[in-house]
Amino acid sequence: MTSNSNGVADTLAQLNSARDLALKDASYYLQIVPAVLALVGPPAGLELRRWGAEFLAEAFASPSLAAERKQELSLTVLDLLKEYLDTPGEDVVVVKAVVQAAASIYPLVFRQIDALLITATLNSLGSLTRARASIATKIISTVLNFNPLRLVKPPITTKIKLVVRSIERTTRALLQNFAKKNQNHALVGRISQYIEQLHHARVAMFDDTNRKRPAPVEPTDGLDQAKRQRLGAEVTDAPSQAQEVLPPPGSRTYAWLFNRNPQESSVNFDVKAITPEIVANIVLPLLIYVEKGKFDHAINATQARLLAHRKDIQQPRSALDVAVAATHKAPADEDEEEYEPDFPPVETTEQILNRLDNAPPDELPPERPPPEVALGPFKFPQPPPLTEAETIDCSKDVVNRVFGVMAELDETPAPKAQRPGFNRLAASGYDRDAWVTVITRIATRAAAGLENGVVKAEGEGERSVARYKSFSIGNTIRDALYLYVVEDFRRRIDVAISWLNEEWYNDRIMAKHGGDAGPPVKHYDKWVLKVLDGIVPYLDAKDKVLIRFLSEIPGIGVEVLDRIKKLARDPERVSLAVNAIHYLVLVRPPVREVCVDALEDLWRNYDDARGPAAKVLNKWRPHVLQEVPNGLGAQVKAE
Amino acid sequence: MPDSTKMGLDGTNDSNIQQTEVPADDDSFKLKFCTVCASNQNRSMVAHLRLSSASFPTLSFGTGSLVRLPGPSITEPNVYEFDSVSYDHIYRELESRDPRLYRANGVLNMVGRNRTVKLRPERWQDWKGSKGTEGGVVDVVITCEERCWDAVVDDLLNRGSPLNRPVHVFNVDIRDNHEEAQVGGKAILELATELNKAAAEERQLHGTDGWHMGGGAARSGFDERVPDILAEWQERWPNLPALWTLAWF
Repeated sequence: MTSNSNGVADTLAQLNSARDLALKDASYYLQIVPAVLALVGPPAGLELRRWGAEFLAEAFASPSLAAERKQELSLTVLDLLKEYLDTPGEDVVVVKAVVQAAASIYPLVFRQIDALLITATLNSLGSLTRARASIATKIISTVLNFNPLRLVKPPITTKIKLVVRSIERTTRALLQNFAKKNQNHALVGRISQYIEQLHHARVAMFDDTNRKRPAPVEPTDGLDQAKRQRLGAEVTDAPSQAQEVLPPPGSRTYAWLFNRNPQESSVNFDVKAITPEIVANIVLPLLIYVEKGKFDHAINATQARLLAHRKDIQQPRSALDVAVAATHKAPADEDEEEYEPDFPPVETTEQILNRLDNAPPDELPPERPPPEVALGPFKFPQPPPLTEAETIDCSKDVVNRVFGVMAELDETPAPKAQRPGFNRLAASGYDRDAWVTVITRIATRAAAGLENGVVKAEGEGERSVARYKSFSIGNTIRDALYLYVVEDFRRRIDVAISWLNEEWYNDRIMAKHGGDAGPPVKHYDKWVLKVLDGIVPYLDAKDKVLIRFLSEIPGIGVEVLDRIKKLARDPERVSLAVNAIHYLVLVRPPVREVCVDALEDLWRNYDDARGPAAKVLNKWRPHVLQEVPNGLGAQVKAE
Repeated sequence: MPDSTKMGLDGTNDSNIQQTEVPADDDSFKLKFCTVCASNQNRSMVAHLRLSSASFPTLSFGTGSLVRLPGPSITEPNVYEFDSVSYDHIYRELESRDPRLYRANGVLNMVGRNRTVKLRPERWQDWKGSKGTEGGVVDVVITCEERCWDAVVDDLLNRGSPLNRPVHVFNVDIRDNHEEAQVGGKAILELATELNKAAAEERQLHGTDGWHMGGGAARSGFDERVPDILAEWQERWPNLPALWTLAWF
């Protein structure tokens, strides 16, 4: 027993000295930790176990031991830690130290859980949320508490970036899928917030990974900027001529034209200082050795410069002359560029002769203007004035076209626009409503004020004016509007109402301002009756159109009510007539008396209407009911 | 359950692929691949051709709503339905419309090539994995654009993993032009070869038990190696940003 405890004490002493060593130099942990594992396992005595557990906790908490080293060590101690925990009735001090060690190890080990399990788990959660809807909230909130970016510990390698990005995107895919399927779920708001946060956090962490790759640094054609960039295209390294900035016209010299050297000094060099013999000596060998590609390029560049110059000064002929002259004089004057030799003199002479042969005779000025081809603006002769009949036909055509547009707009469903309320401007859009406004206003206002004059003139017996009056644009449109409404009055009742309101308004304005021009034409009264006459025969017993129409037109007279009363001739439409009038009694107090009169008339003179009319009269004019209705009275007399 | 490993996935170019159920030589084990892009014309088809030329059983799909090809202007694309119009039909139609234009922009060449790879453009979302003429499931899906990856992962979540079979879904971001598609195709083939090599090694090490049911030691060994393989690959191809997830059929 004593020897055993002595042995333990010895071991502990040795262990402590080892520990001291490690505390002084953390690199010893790498040897000591694996060595002590066998000594301090669960079969060992309590003191050893305590020492072991505490030592491990201390080792993994050590600030001087590098994380990578800890990571290496962590894998070796996992089994031991698990053994401690699995031992039933393990000492509290040991367990406490084990938990401390585990807490230090956890992030190290967690990095080893390859991404694989995480994404695999995340991807299987999708079906789980659907199959187990009751715990879906729990699952999703767990996912929301999961932050893949916490796994990131420096150094950030390609793999870590890749894995974290993949996990983030997988999480996002899962959450978005869930949110799409459960749009009313309580967590949807948090989900979008989480996705947003995660995204920003990742971008902040690996700044570069999210952006699309920039276009690779690739050579461009150099010949055509508009051409799509191609990889590996054969290119020249010269700047494109298109980008060259031309000097002001006055300073364009031959030196400028032929100089291929950007340096200032060569421009200012006076080649005349060199004798032609020396030039020839220099140029000829150069011509032999010059690189063909460079030479061609230089010629092209010079040509491009010349073309740009010609285009710039807008004098093609003289510019051409300048160019030819420049080309020919060049060998003598200009030779500043080592790979820019010019044509040999022999050829030049020939060219000059050729040019002279082809040149126009001297007496003709070289800047002869091109022959006059343009004939000046062509004008059609004025058409003969239209006859009156033609004018009328054309006007009708115009009206037809206007209504053609209406028909088209009818086909297209009206967009559900927000009602702008009072803040709107009539006819500001191009929709059907706007057309209705335009048409009705042309009909009612365009010729307003003219008609009275015409009527007056007609009164004086001027036949031509009378004939002219037979066509009025306003009335033609009115006719067309009338037909348009009656054609499909249930759908187009709104047009009728807008139109009649405009008529009424215009009548009012005319009555106010045109007092001295004789009695104004009452368009409203005429057309409201005409529209009503057009509609009434086709109304069926349950049409709501009539009540709408009556409630929205601006004025109701006795004649209007007469039309409605006629409805009561038809037993099927009695109630329609009575209801319509009753409605007016209720909601349009100004015409209430007239309407009640009409009801009384119905009660008295229309047998079928007596019952329904009586109900209404009972409230508004009960005393009438005491009297004997005409129809009934006649009947009584007959009996 | 149908044994998908016995089926030729493509029906055109992989007729020379040996039976993979009991491979004579494990090194040649062939994972089954699926390439996905937007219109199943350019990137996925270059990769499809590459993979099937290397004797990998390969399928390919698009995830867009329609097959879109460049037209006379950017606002007038040529649009076709997935799963109904053949490459040959598209080819002949474009050729009759404006042979000069479509030859010049490489579209005819591309569609003409596709005719030799398979019959028609197919849509991922309309492929239900276990039925249809091209039955079976794949081990690896490689998309060529992030929104295609999103669409594939989302669609797999929607399917609710009825087969309980793991599938690695990669994205290799490739720009949609002829040149980049070629580069991307090469990179995809490289990735596929390495994945296949790892799978073959694991199968040799742990045996093939349960592999085609998506389980077994070899399978989990392979699955664990995938992120490392991808990371190594990514370091070699830093201009093709990758994504990856382990999803379920």
